[in-house]
Order: sequence, then C-alpha cells, then structure tokens
Amino acid sequence: MVGLVLISHSGTLVAGLREMVMQVAGDEVAVGTAGGTDDGRLGTSAPRIADALRSTLDASPEGVLVLFDLGSAALSLELALEDLDPGDRDRTRISEAPLVEGAVLAAVQASVGASLVEVEAAAAAASTMTKLPRE
Amino acid sequence: MPELTLIVADPAGLHARPAARFVQAASRFESRIVLRHGGREADAKSLIALLGLTIRPSSEIVIAADGPDAEAAIAALAAELAPYLGAPI
Repeated sequence: MVGLVLISHSGTLVAGLREMVMQVAGDEVAVGTAGGTDDGRLGTSAPRIADALRSTLDASPEGVLVLFDLGSAALSLELALEDLDPGDRDRTRISEAPLVEGAVLAAVQASVGASLVEVEAAAAAASTMTKLPRE
Repeated sequence: MPELTLIVADPAGLHARPAARFVQAASRFESRIVLRHGGREADAKSLIALLGLTIRPSSEIVIAADGPDAEAAIAALAAELAPYLGAPI
C-alpha cells in the first residue's frame, strides 16, 4: 500500500490532519508527519522530514506521496530527499496539491490499494475540487 | 444495468467519511459503478467525484452498476451505506 508523509510548519497542524485523514481513510494507510522545528517552533526541519520519510517508506512497499504546506517546506524537503538512499528516493513523489484536501483524497485512493501514480493523481485533483453545492 | 434509488438520511448529507466508505466498498468490485444525484453522475470509485456531487441530506441518489458483479456490488454498497441512507424507494 502507498503511504503519505504530511509536512507543515506546524506540528499541531499535521497532527490534526493526520487524525482526520486516518478517520476518513482508515488505519491501513501509513501516514507520517513532520511539523515544526527541533525545538518546537514554527518551521520545517530537514532531519525531521527525512525521519518521517524513512519510517513511512519502511511501512509502505508501494512508495510514499509527500504533501507539504508552503514556502520553505519545499526547501527542507529537498534537503531531506538528498539524505535518502536512491532506492527510497525513487519510491517517493512530491505533490503540489493543497495539503488538507490533497491528503484526504490521496489517503482514500491509497486505502483501496492504488498505485503511487494513481494516489498522486487523486491528490492533484484537489486543486480543482468542488466544495460548495452547485445549484 | 441494475440500479437502486435511495434517500440520504444522514443529517450531514453524503460527506467525507461516508463518501470514503462508499469509494472503498465500490473499489472491491469489477463493475463500473456510478452514483447519480441532481442530474449529475459520478464514478463511485472516485472520492473527488462523489464529493463533487455535494449530496445534501434528504436528497435522492441512485446507485447504478454495470458489469459482471453489478448485482452484488449494489447490494454491498446499500449495506455499507445503511447507517447514512434511508430505505430504498
């Protein structure tokens, strides 16, 4: 099964998002998180991201989709990826999807046994999803 | 193409959690399964498609399936969604 890694400047944000994602998609999908700095401030940390990637990749044979919030999270993520073994890097894809919507859509897609490419496509669809009723 | 018409009884409509259960249940079947609502149709194996229908409480939905396991799929989906749905009409 494909796993997810959720990255944010806030540890609280990704902890809450993880809880929400697990409730919607079930607990079979591995969901790792990396939020905040090592000393608990708002920000991102490449070593924390690398740890989350490694542990989630270990639990997810089909690979991992990474979703992040914004700004310097992309830079920390890039550094974390450089730290991974090439084999692990090849099983990792980065999504540009909005974090909350993308994580929920990706997790449900992963929960039905979809491939990493299919999970990535499900997350990408979050950018154009309809949320308010169309009358 | 077998189909079943139901009323959504859940006061929240058919939102994220029940919609996700629906996608997971539908994905176990080979048949093409669609959900119709308000003149629109969504692939029952796609969460974004289902959420895009924005199904409100007390509204009518139709589950239709086409394929070798269509009858079984409709029975299973109706059972899966029983807590959120009213009786068939």
